[in-house]
Amino acid sequence: MVLEINELTGGYSKDPVIHDISFNIKAGEIIGLIGLNGAGKSTTIKHILGLLRPHSGNIKVMDKTIDSDVEAYRRHMGYIPESPILYEELTLREHINMTAMAYGLTPQEVEARKGPLLKRFRLDDKEDTFPSHFSKGMKQKVMLICAFIVEPELYIIDEPFLGLDPLGIESLIELMISERDKNRSILMSTHILATAERYCDRYIIIDQGRKIADGTLDELREQTGLSEGTLDDVYIQLTGGKRHEQ
Amino acid sequence: MSSKLFNTRMEEDVKIRSYYGKFIFNSHFLVFLMIAAGVLLYTLLGLRETLSPSLYIDTLCALLMAAVLLPKYRTLLKEADMLFLPPYEKKMAAYFKRADIYSLSLGLAVPAAASVAVLILLSIGHDLTSILLFFLLAVLLYFNAFNIRRLSVNTDYTKWAVTSALILLNFISLMLVLVNPFFMIAGLFFIIIFTVIMKKSSFQTLSWLNYVQYEKEALQQYYQTVSMFTNVKRIDKAFKRRRILDVLLWVPKADKFNKKYMYEYLFYRSFMRDHDLPMIVLRIIVLFFIIMFWIGNLYVSLIFSLFGIYLIVLQMSQIYTAQAYLLWPKVWPVSRTYIQDSYIRYSHKIVFAITLIFAVMFTVTHPAQFFYALAFPLWGYLLNRVLSKSIYKKETELSD
Repeated sequence: MVLEINELTGGYSKDPVIHDISFNIKAGEIIGLIGLNGAGKSTTIKHILGLLRPHSGNIKVMDKTIDSDVEAYRRHMGYIPESPILYEELTLREHINMTAMAYGLTPQEVEARKGPLLKRFRLDDKEDTFPSHFSKGMKQKVMLICAFIVEPELYIIDEPFLGLDPLGIESLIELMISERDKNRSILMSTHILATAERYCDRYIIIDQGRKIADGTLDELREQTGLSEGTLDDVYIQLTGGKRHEQ
Repeated sequence: MSSKLFNTRMEEDVKIRSYYGKFIFNSHFLVFLMIAAGVLLYTLLGLRETLSPSLYIDTLCALLMAAVLLPKYRTLLKEADMLFLPPYEKKMAAYFKRADIYSLSLGLAVPAAASVAVLILLSIGHDLTSILLFFLLAVLLYFNAFNIRRLSVNTDYTKWAVTSALILLNFISLMLVLVNPFFMIAGLFFIIIFTVIMKKSSFQTLSWLNYVQYEKEALQQYYQTVSMFTNVKRIDKAFKRRRILDVLLWVPKADKFNKKYMYEYLFYRSFMRDHDLPMIVLRIIVLFFIIMFWIGNLYVSLIFSLFGIYLIVLQMSQIYTAQAYLLWPKVWPVSRTYIQDSYIRYSHKIVFAITLIFAVMFTVTHPAQFFYALAFPLWGYLLNRVLSKSIYKKETELSD
């Protein structure tokens, strides 16, 4: 397993935000982490990254817990935050170099990998520019380049399509599929279900801090009785629909 | 109701000021201030005995007072006020009146301190009436500068233009009253003209955008001043590409292209591209050199050199604090000890270079006692060690 989460309970303070969440991600899977605003998606992601300490339960990345070996635990993960977080004092080239040094890439590996990524996201003429001067979408592309250059076993992407233009979204989807084909895994939280439906292998649906469903689209359809339903229909049935009935 | 809103904000502001005040006016700084004030007074009193009346002394006094008679205008408005307060604009008079009183009280300390030095210098060749008129006009100019600044917020005039015009007005008015006490009328005339121009240029209604922006800048300016002495979390860090300095930036070769050196790579860039830090360092060096050269006293030079190095080392530690709390160091597979190791390597090199500059300044001022300067690098090293350790300790406590 690339990622194993067992009975995770946690949050920002003593009061837990997420309760007893368990799921796994195998190599070569793209998983959609889906939930309403405030459902607990970002909290789950922060726990996986090690930014929050679980109240109970445990998380393993490539069979390592954060307490057993923090560097080895993090080395297998690449993270793309919802809002770009950049060093205002660094150029795009320097951002790439910092990431590469952190993950132990050699200068030759950086040179070989960065060209296609910069070209794909149309930033190949911006290497010496400060990304802090870019538009939000371009900043997000910098985050994507920095994560994808590392080629980790697990990508964690928080709302990947926010701020990206249609070409950027298409480039990202192609890249995600190509990474899956190389047996790498992706966990992404998203609200854009129509896009997620096209390429996610499995969905984990979180509501009010609890996992309420986990499976392929067909499995979720079976669970909700919506045999022809789209992911949107299934999602509404599992979250909003249930609440309306109450 | 609006005065209640201001009072709440004023209490918050006072709390912030007293919080940072504790760090700025620590025991080291108070000792330095007392020694510096004593030496300055001693020097000025000595000059009073030896100097004879001259236009240069008058110019210096007028210039000094012109530069300090510039009270800040602090409305304590917040960004959200642009949305929520405009409907209550007509009921905001009490708020702004309280803001006026608070702002005026904030700006008194510096002109009061400068007045002491100016008083001593003016006593060379001026009678009591001239001195009294000079200070009476200074008080009027203080209120006028405040009024002009307050009015200018609601106009199209830039802050820079208004400040330059005020310094010029202050200087000319004060200079004229020293030339002939009757010229005080000219000063009063300038004040009236300036006020009329400002009032005529003011918008009919409040420009909330201007007010909020002005307050934001004033707050940042305050934090920047405080950041010269201690770390300030709320400061908006701005960076500036100085392409000319890029050649000085260290680029790691293949053997150092790794996590051990990555933060050193970052720290050099943070320092060189920081909007203020290199300029603050430069200002401290130039200002202290002028004082050392002007006073020419061995002990004063020693104290100023050691204190200048202390101030700069304090400034340097901001870079570590700014980086240590960002997201990426918590996500990247890099032990936090590498950040500290990189900071130690980077800061020792920079501090060593700066202590050498102070050593050169000291040697130029006191060539015969050059050997004292040999202690500066050691002083810089020890300060950097002690201050870095306290930052690491604070960081560990916060992360726990």
